[in-house]
Amino acid sequence: MSTQRTQRPRRAAITGIGVIAPNGQRPDAYWKSVSEGIGVLDRITREGCGHLPLRVAGEVRSFDATALIEDRFLVQTDRFSHFAMAAAALALDDAGLGSGDPAEPFSIGVVTAAGSGGGEFGQRELQKLWGQGPRFVGPYQSIAWFYAASTGQISIRSGFKGPCGVVASDEAGGLDSLAHAAGAIRRGTDTMVVGAAEAPLAPYSMVCQLGYPELSTVEDPDLAYRPFTSKACGFVPAEGGALLVVEDGNRARERGVPVRATLAGHAATFTGASRWEESREGLARAIRGALDEAGAAPEDIDVVFADAMGVPEADRAEALAIADALGAHGRRVPVTAPKTGFGRAHCAAPVLDTVAAVLAMEHGQVPPTPNVFDICHDLDLVMSRARPAELRTALVLSRGLMGSNAALVVRRGESAR
Amino acid sequence: MITTEVTVDELAVLMKKAAGITVDPQELKQAAGSPFDCFGLDSLGLLGIVGELENRYGLSLPPDSERCKSPREFLDLVNSTLKAGA
Repeated sequence: MSTQRTQRPRRAAITGIGVIAPNGQRPDAYWKSVSEGIGVLDRITREGCGHLPLRVAGEVRSFDATALIEDRFLVQTDRFSHFAMAAAALALDDAGLGSGDPAEPFSIGVVTAAGSGGGEFGQRELQKLWGQGPRFVGPYQSIAWFYAASTGQISIRSGFKGPCGVVASDEAGGLDSLAHAAGAIRRGTDTMVVGAAEAPLAPYSMVCQLGYPELSTVEDPDLAYRPFTSKACGFVPAEGGALLVVEDGNRARERGVPVRATLAGHAATFTGASRWEESREGLARAIRGALDEAGAAPEDIDVVFADAMGVPEADRAEALAIADALGAHGRRVPVTAPKTGFGRAHCAAPVLDTVAAVLAMEHGQVPPTPNVFDICHDLDLVMSRARPAELRTALVLSRGLMGSNAALVVRRGESAR
Repeated sequence: MITTEVTVDELAVLMKKAAGITVDPQELKQAAGSPFDCFGLDSLGLLGIVGELENRYGLSLPPDSERCKSPREFLDLVNSTLKAGA
């Protein structure tokens, strides 16, 4: 060989984005809603949920699974996998990888995170179990409601045979799934389809959530989810999610596809369920770990996508964690929480934030935090309208109800470091 | 006496209902000796069809029924069981 190609170290480059969210069922529609601060939280309309004390959520409406997914996958899967398969197909298209059989199936893997599972499917089959008897439970109950279903079905549907994984965790698992994908890329897999989708708005799934004191049961959609304010009263759940195509940056260059962003650093910690005061240190350590891995200084962070739990002590812990980890820069850096406009889709929430971060960097705008107008913490929270800014590096934060904390550093385009 | 028999047409309907597989009954008839894989039916899908038939006829099909490899093998086993049961 006379020519020598300069190969950079293997890095996890985002080359495809797929979104199925309450505020948009494509990345461009999602960005339009996010950047304009459009709120879509509304009264829950899903069947069988009207009598429950949870009133407001972010629903993915007019999602036509039958138009997007083949019957044989539909009968086997819950709504959360429908979202995941639809988002994965969008991401693969965006990355120029289509949906046909891949030429090198072992070079593509899948990892998803799930925290709610297939409650709607599971409830239907369990109702048959006690209503009619075990003989009336369909065999796909054995796979459809488990957290792993989406990873498996995305792999089967597209013929992928690379390394697969499932993060069965709380909200922060969405960021952990991205870290797993980045690790698989570094270890030699060319491409990973990664992300999370959830469908927690069904009777059984909603009842499972009612025990969380962090859940907002406020009935006015504009008032139900207002983190960082003195009126914070919990979070509003959402359904939907996002899947990304992440591939080795060298591979992306060889294929001639643009690198939209690079997963530069991640770290996760655990401080215990609902121990929000303690999450301060956990989140601060996660931020420092993510910065370390990214080789980034606090001043390099141009925007923070906050976890924004909406519980006063959790909000305080997050604001303090940002200050602890970023120092004086923590009070200057723009912080945003676009999820106040469409809800918190459990494991999918930080993946949707990561998508918003990539789009924000591409558009040079920090999107606003809908429904939040007056905060009681020492943060530069972007409110009312998007703020133009040159954005090269974003920090995405996530905490889960079970006590996980995670931070992700994302760089615009192909990271030089 | 009523002769109970599951036809190829009925199997095609069951494949759609239990496993979401659309198959032309004529093709199913012509290729009845081909493996279920060829039609996209997996083992859980066949198990679902067995369950549907057991509930419909109120009897247990033999354990081998869910291990049948082809539509012909499956229909032969199911129909001989139904005949014996009738």
